[in-house]
Amino acid sequence: MLKPRLIPVLLLQNGHLVRSELFNIHQIIGNPVHEAERFNHWGVDELIYLDISRSDEYDLRRDDQKVRHLNTITRIQEAVSRTCFIPLTWGGRIRTLDDMASAFAHGADKVAVNSQALRTPELIAQASIRFGKQAIVVSIDVLRHGDGRWEVFIDCGRTPTGRDPVDWAIEAERLGAGEILLQSINRDGTGDGYDLDLIRAVAGAVRIPLIACSGVGRYEDYADGLRSGAAAVAAANIWHFKEMADRGGKRALVRAGFNVRI
Amino acid sequence: MTAADAAFSRSLGINPMKYCSRCVVPGMSAVPLTFDDKGVCSGCRVSDTKATIDWDKRGRLLRELVDEYRTSSNYDIVIPVSGGKDSYYQTHVATKELGLKALLVTYHGNNYLPEGEYNLQRMREVFDADHIIVRPSVEALKKMNRLGFRIQGDMNWHAHCGIFSAPIQVALRYKVPLIMWGEHGFLDLGGMYSLNDFVEFTAKHRLEHLLRGYDWYDFTDEGLEKLGRPEAKEGLTAKDLLWAKYPSDEEIDSIGVRGIYLGNFVNWDGNSNAELVAAKYDWKASEVPFERTYRLASNLDDMHENGIHDYLKFVKFGYGRATDHSCKDIRSGRMTRDEGIAMVRKYDHVKPRRDLERWLTYVDMSEEEFDRVCDTFRDPRVWRIEDGYWVKDNVWGEPSQYGKAHVA
Ligand SMILES: [Zn+2]
Repeated sequence: MLKPRLIPVLLLQNGHLVRSELFNIHQIIGNPVHEAERFNHWGVDELIYLDISRSDEYDLRRDDQKVRHLNTITRIQEAVSRTCFIPLTWGGRIRTLDDMASAFAHGADKVAVNSQALRTPELIAQASIRFGKQAIVVSIDVLRHGDGRWEVFIDCGRTPTGRDPVDWAIEAERLGAGEILLQSINRDGTGDGYDLDLIRAVAGAVRIPLIACSGVGRYEDYADGLRSGAAAVAAANIWHFKEMADRGGKRALVRAGFNVRI
Repeated sequence: MTAADAAFSRSLGINPMKYCSRCVVPGMSAVPLTFDDKGVCSGCRVSDTKATIDWDKRGRLLRELVDEYRTSSNYDIVIPVSGGKDSYYQTHVATKELGLKALLVTYHGNNYLPEGEYNLQRMREVFDADHIIVRPSVEALKKMNRLGFRIQGDMNWHAHCGIFSAPIQVALRYKVPLIMWGEHGFLDLGGMYSLNDFVEFTAKHRLEHLLRGYDWYDFTDEGLEKLGRPEAKEGLTAKDLLWAKYPSDEEIDSIGVRGIYLGNFVNWDGNSNAELVAAKYDWKASEVPFERTYRLASNLDDMHENGIHDYLKFVKFGYGRATDHSCKDIRSGRMTRDEGIAMVRKYDHVKPRRDLERWLTYVDMSEEEFDRVCDTFRDPRVWRIEDGYWVKDNVWGEPSQYGKAHVA
């Protein structure tokens, strides 16, 4: 039995890491490498790095800091991989096999694809053949409508697709995805806990591992995600809030009876 | 960033000289912030949420939290204090309201104003608390002033380092797990986090934001060699900077040290703090007006904080403390935006003569060298040179000229 994994997600927006709420409020947390460096010190299981920039501009805004000149995505990727030796999944703004090859060449171990996977599903099939299934994560952002219906959104939560997350996850698995990263737009940044129904529904429909994300407000929330069928539990904001967020999270999982790597 | 990069980034739409439509903060600020589609900054937005928070409930959460740390035979809490209005308020809450036995810890950078020194020494008289004051050697401090200025464009880098290192060292030495800071500066001014995040102090925040990526080891001769700045060497070794060292994760974890921010638990307002502690404890504001801001109750622990240190912020980013103070006063309803703009106009650009002369004598530097080094830190996103003068855009609309350029 594989040990459950605990995974931080870093969100990059135009050069800075950001805190995200409901996919539309973003607050600047810091530069792209510093937190990754801490994760490396702590030896976290793996890291998911998502570029949610709306344009190609990357600007740290001040030049009097030790970290500077990270103003292209490849410079940022290189700096992250120089700093951080834990398994890295890179996602966001990946549209072609070449984008993937570039991410792999700049230190990524896996790539996460979201909007483009829905636009051109054959990309996943081609990527899976070329880079191997284990290297392809399909990332799914889900909005729960007022009537309880789920819908997959793309373009960082701005474009509805009419797709049901369970159907889409099954299709993604069939196309050759190695893992699913599941995010809830309604829970993002709220700290109200995971959408456990959503995790159960998607995890129950596919055999590939599901990484649950969105909503963690207390370290105790991780255990609920695992109990609902996730193979790995991820979070973004909470990793920025307290000292040694890895130990805090893992100790909560141990208290809940899970066997995690400490 | 080169001027060409800056022009490129402007052409793509990042506008460093955009100002918040509610307060007066510029897009290109030292504290990173974002703007919503109405042009309101994250600092204003987070400040708005204060009105929706149940502060009585937060008070109960704070009491529950500190209850876990009450001891029978040790200090219950460490409070980092400068002796300022906020320090008095933190100590008031901890000792008088929560009944905790507090160990106060001060980093003393050798530049206190007389009123600040009076307030600092008075803390152990008006509060039932013990007080440790960490005072580095003056020789090391002078070297750190020069190094901070030349390497980082901030002569008070040593102060940020001492303030955010010494109290953690003391907490470990006395085995006191709970530290209580005042407000989270970046949250309060820039809206970096939500008040619902209950953010705590981290080594990462210290290094990346408070110290801007540099640590004590960058300022030893060996460190400067590695930075590629051997010409700046001052002969400092690790033994000169023991007060600046941050403990390891393992040391911190062994005692379970955590630093909470009081600003997450009470409706924080610097002006109210000043009024309360002046009335209750005879706390004193500055008797002499500052050259670069209108507030008299802030930063009495370091005469250069509102002077040269703050002028360097204007040099880098084109704004200063009058902007910061106006933002806070606009958000708390004590000032209109127009009144804030008038303060920015009056103070932000002032080269503080009185303060500069004291500092140049203190560190033995010429004004000519000072101006030359300053100009290497001008941010091209903000500043341009026209006819040999520095020019930038302003919050009130038209651009102005701000002094002769000392670089080509
Ligand atoms: Zn504002």
